[in-house]
Amino acid sequence: MAEDVFLADDLLRQLMSVGEVDLLVGLSSCNAANTVSHALDAIEESFQRNFARQRAVVVNVGGDKDEDAVVAQGYGSLAKKGVRLPGITSLRTSHRVTANFSGPPSPGIALRTILAAADLLRARACAVVSPDASILTPDSIASLLRPVYREKFDFVAPLYTRNKYQGLLARNLLYPMSRALFGSGIRELFSDDWGFSGRLAALCLNQDVWHQDAIRARPEAWMAISAISSDFRCCQTFLGEKSKAIKSSGTDIVEILRQTVGTLFWCLETQQSSWLDCEKSQTVPTFGPDHEFTSEPTDLDRHRIFEMFRSGVTELEPILSSILDPETHSEIKSIVLLEEANFRFKSDIWVRTLYDFAASYHHAVINRDHLIQTLAPLYRGMTYSFLVEHADSSPSEMEAASEMLCMEFKLQKPYLVERWKAKVEVKS
Amino acid sequence: MISQNGKERRPLTLQRDKLWYKDAVIYQLHVRTFCDSNADGIGDFAGLTQRLDYLQDLGITAIWLLPFYPSPLRDDGYDIADYTSVHASYGSLEDFKTFLTAAHNRGMRIIIEMVLNHTSDQHPWFKEARSSRENPRRDWYVWSETDTRYQGVPIVFVDTETSNWAWDPISKSYYWHRFFSHQPDLNFDNPAVFEAVWDVMKFWLNIGVDGFRLDAVAYLVEREGTLCESLPETHAIIRELRRRLDLAYPGTMLLAEANQWPADVRAYFGDGDEFHAAFHFPLMPRMFMAVKLEDRKPIIEILEQTPEIPDSCQWFIFLRNHDELTLEMVTDVERDYMYDEYAMDTAMRINRGIRRRLAPMMNNDRRRIELLNGLLMSMPGTPIVYYGDEIGMGDNIYLGDRNGVRTPMQWNSALNAGFSLADPERLYAPVISNAVYGYQAVNADSQNRSEHSLLRWMKSLLQVRNAFQVFSRGTIQFLNPSNHRVLAYTRQFGEETVLVVNNLSSSAQAVELDVQRYKGYIPIEMFGRNLFPRLGNLPYLLTLGPYQFYWFQLRRI
Repeated sequence: MAEDVFLADDLLRQLMSVGEVDLLVGLSSCNAANTVSHALDAIEESFQRNFARQRAVVVNVGGDKDEDAVVAQGYGSLAKKGVRLPGITSLRTSHRVTANFSGPPSPGIALRTILAAADLLRARACAVVSPDASILTPDSIASLLRPVYREKFDFVAPLYTRNKYQGLLARNLLYPMSRALFGSGIRELFSDDWGFSGRLAALCLNQDVWHQDAIRARPEAWMAISAISSDFRCCQTFLGEKSKAIKSSGTDIVEILRQTVGTLFWCLETQQSSWLDCEKSQTVPTFGPDHEFTSEPTDLDRHRIFEMFRSGVTELEPILSSILDPETHSEIKSIVLLEEANFRFKSDIWVRTLYDFAASYHHAVINRDHLIQTLAPLYRGMTYSFLVEHADSSPSEMEAASEMLCMEFKLQKPYLVERWKAKVEVKS
Repeated sequence: MISQNGKERRPLTLQRDKLWYKDAVIYQLHVRTFCDSNADGIGDFAGLTQRLDYLQDLGITAIWLLPFYPSPLRDDGYDIADYTSVHASYGSLEDFKTFLTAAHNRGMRIIIEMVLNHTSDQHPWFKEARSSRENPRRDWYVWSETDTRYQGVPIVFVDTETSNWAWDPISKSYYWHRFFSHQPDLNFDNPAVFEAVWDVMKFWLNIGVDGFRLDAVAYLVEREGTLCESLPETHAIIRELRRRLDLAYPGTMLLAEANQWPADVRAYFGDGDEFHAAFHFPLMPRMFMAVKLEDRKPIIEILEQTPEIPDSCQWFIFLRNHDELTLEMVTDVERDYMYDEYAMDTAMRINRGIRRRLAPMMNNDRRRIELLNGLLMSMPGTPIVYYGDEIGMGDNIYLGDRNGVRTPMQWNSALNAGFSLADPERLYAPVISNAVYGYQAVNADSQNRSEHSLLRWMKSLLQVRNAFQVFSRGTIQFLNPSNHRVLAYTRQFGEETVLVVNNLSSSAQAVELDVQRYKGYIPIEMFGRNLFPRLGNLPYLLTLGPYQFYWFQLRRI
């Protein structure tokens, strides 16, 4: 039975008033009412400075009417105050439409709303930005839109200046694995800011995926992988410093893995035709530097991470035995016994471990949610090993190590393909 | 003419209304371009007189004539060599008087050009002034032993002039000129000069002209340490002219040519004691911009920046004129946009503007031409129609300078478009003859015979416009519906209220108008006089086709 109509009449009426646009920027003001005004001003300034001739709209996905009122005061405030930016003239009306939901919408619903607006308004270049990111500047917004509008790219992933210990999940898992399997390396599969074309928006909007858990929480990686899988033109653009707090070491790691690795595994499942026999390996064009590190000291508690790895693996051994190939499992059991000072999680074992998890996810050997949770201690082990190994590494050394890891993922891809295609008896 | 109540309204001239210029629809032409009565290839007053019925039939109530004085014609007649005569090519003073009487008899006022700031260097005044330093007229112009006075004053024609001073080899001194070096500036610090130009104006007022367009009014007086523009002394001169005009010739008017922002032009209205009217230059490019952008923002923005003016004063508005479509009063971004959208071929550009006519700029899209004329006729101000635009004449950008928009009027498909019986080679300029805009395809006679021609449509537009003073004198209030491609406003004057709704876009649009304050009113579509559903509490829904516009009379019955 067909789903009820998705777009609210109120939003539809707003879209009718806007009409066809060249540029669309979507953002969710949920839980960000205090920063959304800044975000909207940055977007407006970006339009004025960089796209004075283009028809542009901001789609704000809000939680309730109160937030809408806050937003309404914010957007267009430059124009309302009669502020003319030096040397800048906005030729066109500034448009903002707001989609209100009874409660905070999930990221998936927010994205679907933005995609629907982009499709209906026939937007050529779109971006999704996070209103609570201090990185949001007129230039960063233009950096996301320009490759699509001017260079005809379909997907623009961001690149950030990172602390060397930031983004470890992306560096050690998401990026190298997706690059090896799909043949196209996007460093930041999961991000708060990205750009896309109208035709990619239409493709994604028309997929019957919007009820999936993986999409509800973090839909951006699916969008990126959809672009890669469908041979859309992808690129990366440098946005500057990503200032959000490091999230990869806290107690919420399980939830993060669920949202990111779970989504990646789900993408492997749903898009297997595009990677199982894929031999391609293409460089993704990059605007600006392709990586940049800073080396501020970190307060990560390595010892605690190691202890959580060790205890986790020990406690979950029965489950691991059902997920991992016996040989891989044996390797894991052997490194658990190492003293902390001697511990290293070798890249070949790490890659094989992940491929075992991916294959088991595919075969649903256990509950998929439990499977992702079981990955947490192993990820901690990898993190610990990385922190020790690269305590004194220079950026170029870290980049070389990252390349090596990518090669390892690529080298072992046949192993995953073999396990993926194998007939497996599911243990209850 | 039909009034709001269906009664005949008397021609405007017969009302002797001192504010006639507020209700006028003005037709701008150069006598040279309109009709040649003596087959010399140049239009003349006798020919123009023959064509007055055409203008009356169109609905024109005033004619603005470009300079027709004796002149070396090195600046299209703005270099006047004799203020009280007619250039021989255009006929005689008697011909002018005959024309003036004929126009008045048809209810049409006549506005003529008056260049007060400077004369031609061929004017007898200047010839005398330069003849010797002792000549009584020496001090009628601005002389200097050096070219260093008034440093920093901008040069207007930077393409041709390197200084505002020119060396006079006869009297061996420098003379001041803000425009071409062959146009020496008069010295208004000399009271005799003021009296002389007042005598000139009286000469024409006594003949019966109804108003003057005063050219280059900002530059009358020079003062060290200033930009020599819009000085208090200049305003004092204008106030004195106005005082004398009101005293001796009530009902005549002064129109300022000042290509400036509305806030700056505002000073030229004074307290209603300087100019009666002034051009609203910045509105014009923004109407073009709004249609191309399909966005009402440029129009609303500039009108919101337009200051209030005294009740007796009026803005004059236009789409095209004899010069380039000036892009002085736009930002760099806007100018680039206008060039890219309306003048891709660099031959279409001149100075800081676009030398094209209305129809070619609209790619001959009838709907857009109508929309722009609809805007012109419904915006606050007195509209000016440039000759030939009422039939959609084309241009010839290869004629040099602005001559491409000054080609002979296309009357019919006969020889020389019916403009002249001279050999085509003898015409002052070739007629437009291409397949789209050529006189065989575009001419007044054939359009008069065609029910759905642009000319017939323009007539009906002007008929409605002339029947309702609300268009010429009413206030404006924008409605700002959420659909930015729709420009909607109400005009109100006394008991008259009209609602104007314009679709600026190339596609059909729906719009909901908040007209709650007019709850209970009945909209009457003003061209077909059809009734629309009564306005109520709910937003009033209208759908409009591409570039369509509605004028509704709102009546409370």
